[in-house]
Amino acid sequence: MTELLHSPLFALPLNLCAFLLGVAIYRRSGTALLHPIVGASALVAAVLWLLQIPYADYQQASGLLYALLGPAVVALAVPLKQNLAIIRRAGWPLAVTLAVGALLAPVVAVVVALLLGAAKPVLLALSGKSITTPIALALAEKIHAAQSLTAGIVVFTGVVGAVAGPPLLQRLNIRDHRVLGFALGINAHAVGTARALEISALCGAFAALAMGLCGALTAIVLPLFLAP
Amino acid sequence: MDSFRLRDVAHWLAGAAILLGCERLGRTISEALALPVPGSVLGMLLLLLALMVYGRVPRGLAQVSEQLLRLLALLFLPAAVGVFYLRDLSAQDWLGLLAATVVGTLVSLTLCALLLARLLKRADREGVDD
Repeated sequence: MTELLHSPLFALPLNLCAFLLGVAIYRRSGTALLHPIVGASALVAAVLWLLQIPYADYQQASGLLYALLGPAVVALAVPLKQNLAIIRRAGWPLAVTLAVGALLAPVVAVVVALLLGAAKPVLLALSGKSITTPIALALAEKIHAAQSLTAGIVVFTGVVGAVAGPPLLQRLNIRDHRVLGFALGINAHAVGTARALEISALCGAFAALAMGLCGALTAIVLPLFLAP
Repeated sequence: MDSFRLRDVAHWLAGAAILLGCERLGRTISEALALPVPGSVLGMLLLLLALMVYGRVPRGLAQVSEQLLRLLALLFLPAAVGVFYLRDLSAQDWLGLLAATVVGTLVSLTLCALLLARLLKRADREGVDD
């Protein structure tokens, strides 16, 4: 029995059920605060705790999902290609904002955490906070940041940006959907892109473009500074 | 009908093979040259380059990619569950984390938006002058 509980035969259906429930809760609630990953991860953690399955065993049994993260990163090239035409129209302002934003997001976060006296593992995990999770996890491996902490920070960052971003920018009188989408894509990656798609297709396209480019740019530049 | 289905499956398999092939290639290059860039990101850039040269996205690849990205939250679920097992963080770490994610994110988001709004306005004006 315990052998079964510690095998992929249990872990994979558990992940799938938790994911579907997480999606259902998210749809029903209609707020980005309950992003599918929030409900799903709490559910899995509760089941693991109830059945006393060590996290390491569950993690190992979920190997198939980890193996698919790499191809998922590659798959990001497809929406990127489909939205690349935007660059030709909006041109250099996007390129400049992308370069500044990709730098600003990790630097502001790390400086804030540093001022409050956070330890080095926290700072490392924070450096990938604004890029989409599969790239952030690949990056965490390269710069030796804790994967779980990175995943948690990335998801939370996305939720904060997606929930508070649009009303904040509206208050600042920024109503251009191109601007809103691009800012969400750079700072709140996939969660922000999903929110942007709800606002308008134009907003969503700018967010998807920003998310892909920002992820690639950060993954190329950051290890140059942080790789041991 | 049957042969039509079979062709769809062939398209999907080809799409999946392209994704896996690009990832493998990116990983191999990254390791061979000891690059600091993650192999999968290199694979993504290779695929992007290939798609730009090719001019369009093959149907099977588009469909497989869309499905995979739709399941993204499922793929990183095991890593996210680890958040519940973080034990060795101090109160100071938590405070720093919370402030960095909430304040940091909103500050950089606002600065990005203000910068882009200003640049776009300038670009639009130049466009009119031309």
